[in-house]
Amino acid sequence: MDQAAADIKNAPLPTQRTLRLRQNLAFQLWRFIILNLRFAKIIAKGAK
Amino acid sequence: MRDPAGWPVFRRCGRGEFGVARVVVLGAGIAGHTAALHLRRMLAKEHQVTVVSPNSKWNWIPSNIWVGVGRMTTDQVTFALAPVYRRQRIEFHQALATELHPEGSPSNNAPYVSVRYTDPKRAGETGEITYDYLINATGPKLNFAATPGLGPDANSVSVCTPDHAREAAERFAETVGKLKQGIRQRLVVGVGHGTCTCEGAAFEYCFNVEHELRMAGVRDLADVTYLTNEYELGDFGVGGMIFHQNGFETTSKLWTESLFRERGVKAIVQAHVESVEPGTIHYEQLDGSKNSLDFDFAMLLPPFRGADLKAFDSTGNEISSEVFAPSGFMKVDADYTERPYEQWSAQDWPNTYESAAYPNIFAVGIAFAPPHQISKPRQSPNGTLITPAPPRTGMPSGIMGKTAARTIADRIANGASASAHRASMATIGAGCVASSGMGLRNGTAAAMTMYPVVPDFKRFPGTGRSAIDTFGEIGLAGHWVKYMLHVMFIYKARALPGWYLIPE
Ligand SMILES: Cc1cc2nc3c(=O)[nH]c(=O)nc-3n(C[C@H](O)[C@H](O)[C@H](O)COP(=O)(O)OP(=O)(O)OC[C@H]3O[C@@H](n4cnc5c(N)ncnc54)[C@H](O)[C@@H]3O)c2cc1C
Repeated sequence: MDQAAADIKNAPLPTQRTLRLRQNLAFQLWRFIILNLRFAKIIAKGAK
Repeated sequence: MRDPAGWPVFRRCGRGEFGVARVVVLGAGIAGHTAALHLRRMLAKEHQVTVVSPNSKWNWIPSNIWVGVGRMTTDQVTFALAPVYRRQRIEFHQALATELHPEGSPSNNAPYVSVRYTDPKRAGETGEITYDYLINATGPKLNFAATPGLGPDANSVSVCTPDHAREAAERFAETVGKLKQGIRQRLVVGVGHGTCTCEGAAFEYCFNVEHELRMAGVRDLADVTYLTNEYELGDFGVGGMIFHQNGFETTSKLWTESLFRERGVKAIVQAHVESVEPGTIHYEQLDGSKNSLDFDFAMLLPPFRGADLKAFDSTGNEISSEVFAPSGFMKVDADYTERPYEQWSAQDWPNTYESAAYPNIFAVGIAFAPPHQISKPRQSPNGTLITPAPPRTGMPSGIMGKTAARTIADRIANGASASAHRASMATIGAGCVASSGMGLRNGTAAAMTMYPVVPDFKRFPGTGRSAIDTFGEIGLAGHWVKYMLHVMFIYKARALPGWYLIPE
């Protein structure tokens, strides 16, 4: 097995809870706000 | 031909003969279109803004990924430029720029650009367009020819243009059709040369393909492989990133590998594709080994080079090597001194995007020549360079376009010595969202931000980037962000009311 395949095989898998949260509408709405704030901050820093 | 400040003597004050300045923008992509719209907004009415671009339509390239899996039509990612430019009082020439004459010529005293019309009404006609200021935003030439057999005219597909993406979607649908008949299929997505850039786009398309296969209920019969020139997964041409998550530092490598494991996607890294035959990709890896990979469907992005532009001095001597780097991209205010990787610095990167040879010419977006890669350069024992070229993605390209527009507007208003605005890739960040699926509930995305794009180890010892502003997250929210960006940027590019309030 080559190195990339071995690394993928050993990579951590998300738990069931993480997978559920990634699709949970309420949680994702919150993350949507956070993501937009993060993007806005990057944009603001670039515009300085 | 220059004054002591380096300005061409025929344009000391940065204005045309009657006090009217003409700014010509080459290319109506993300950088050029942004520059043209801002120029028109910032300049007084009497000054002219002219755009030269070969396509009649504007394209929001990031959404070509969704066209490439049949989730969007080409009409949803494009619109006609002429009505927008008419409304904005921007002159539009549907043409290819072919030659720059920054000092004019014996028959034309003013600096000018030679163009060849692609407008069907003027097809084949040539012309000369004079300028006081020029912005080169011609983006990449898709260099399929660098790899024998690569590209939609040969043995693989691409998603770089709307037409390429539509064809990719047709071929992908055929592959899904075969899977539905129970025929096993091998799908390969990645980059088609050791020096490609845009690994993020290939990664995004790969996970869209994987998502669609699952949606179609045929995932178990499909082998999906990501083929890349990156040294390791998660490099993305920016040397990888360090994220802070749950109190730990983690690498973009581990984060990306986790996604590959979760989705059952295989990866081949450190690969330079040497040729693509029907059904087989031949590639060399960094250890010097030569391998091949069979496929039924292959989407491989091409390497980029600069547009086919030549430059001439006032006597007609070719000066392309002064104006352009060997890659065809335009030399700007970067430090192009060759140095080993260990001596690279954030200060090597350009700030103002003024041409190194002519200060009234600017090159923005993909069109400027980067001083070097961002990822560590590596060669195989056979001397093959296998290292991503530095990505110049949408957000930095738009910012560069606006920066050049602000400098030019200031110089036209206040004189040519007005100082230039600055936006180095070592001081601006980027956001990247690799999203798959469609609809409110049925999608997911890997969203990343990094600040700055080019690591600055003096400002941010250790990783070269801000730990707070460099992060990655997977989930439905990123998919909403991507769709929101699609809607917002098309609105902005159409120059609809308040467009300038939407940031680059
Ligand atoms: C499939 C794909 C997906 C992507 N996804 C993302 C993403 O999700 N996020 C992101 O930030 N970036 C993404 N990118 C990168 C992004 O598209 C580029 O960063 C951006 O388009 C660069 O802008 P540009 O103006 O320099 O070049 P372009 O947008 O390519 O524009 C160049 C323009 O110049 C014109 N032109 C070419 N030659 C000439 C000539 N000789 N004379 C006159 N005009 C000429 C072209 O027709 C075009 O209009 C993606 C790229 C690809 C290929």
